[in-house]
Amino acid sequence: MGVILAAASCDPAVDIICAPDDVLELFEFKDALFTIGPFSFTRTVFLMFLATAIVVGFFYFGLRKKAVVPGRLQSMAESVVSFVRNDIAIDIIGPEGVKFAPYLLALFSFLIVGNIFEVTPLINFPITSRMAIPAFLALVTWVIFVFVGFKRNGFSYLLDTAWPKSVPIGLRWLVGLIELVSVFFLRPITLAVRLFANLVAGHLMLTLLLASGVVFLSELPTIGLRALIGIPWFVFGLGIYVFEIVVAILQAYIFTLLSAVYIQTSIHPEH
Amino acid sequence: MVEELAAPIALVGYGLAAIGPGIGIGIVVGNAIQAMVRQPEMAGVARTTMFLGIAFTEALALIGFVLFFIA
Repeated sequence: MGVILAAASCDPAVDIICAPDDVLELFEFKDALFTIGPFSFTRTVFLMFLATAIVVGFFYFGLRKKAVVPGRLQSMAESVVSFVRNDIAIDIIGPEGVKFAPYLLALFSFLIVGNIFEVTPLINFPITSRMAIPAFLALVTWVIFVFVGFKRNGFSYLLDTAWPKSVPIGLRWLVGLIELVSVFFLRPITLAVRLFANLVAGHLMLTLLLASGVVFLSELPTIGLRALIGIPWFVFGLGIYVFEIVVAILQAYIFTLLSAVYIQTSIHPEH
Repeated sequence: MVEELAAPIALVGYGLAAIGPGIGIGIVVGNAIQAMVRQPEMAGVARTTMFLGIAFTEALALIGFVLFFIA
């Protein structure tokens, strides 16, 4: 088990992983477990399949029997479905939101499992802290809301965004430009980066606090009582641990909520 | 010289980019709490709208975060 230290110079001979030279290494997939053709199976990919299997298994076994008086698993699965369907899809998008409920449900449950991996013992790695996964999910949302916008409003979807009729003529070009950039570029980017940034920050914070606690305490024989400085770090890390559970659930909710809002603004623009 | 300072400057830039959204999120959450306390029956709507407001306000801080990585 390697430990990441933020030190610029450290001895790689010890079982400690040094800080990356370039922060972009955080975005890279390294150390493939095995490779099939062009596809490398890294830990992230494996966890991604595990998350998918958990979600599919949960809903398959939860909703297999469809008893009138639901059992434990069935009532859990039903409450997740009804939360996404009623409180997100129908409340935000309106009656037509039922059509998008399956996508939002898949998104929500996959993200919640992927985020909870951050605080799952023995895994401790949120798959959504790799940019590829939030970026791809945001791209899917982007394709859906742009497609729905063009399908519902025809070409005037683009025209109304770039040339909003409700704005005074003098400012119309400026507002149109801002809207155009905001709708088609900033929306998907911020959607992906919000999830990514929150999970990376939480993962790094947990790693640094808990690891520094462990590293200090394990040095107790050599540096004596000064090693006790590790205790407050470890306790602080445990506090952040609870906080990260909330963040994991909240970020999955916000991603789903914003996807629903973006779809809603494409169906009914100018609101 | 400039290349050496690029990372520290990016860090300061991110700090500056976080000021506005920080204040904005404070205003959003404060007003949402007021709304929830005054009209508890509308708390659900206020909460959803609060998350949306936070999400939109956060955008500038997130752009700063990305620029910090790029720089």
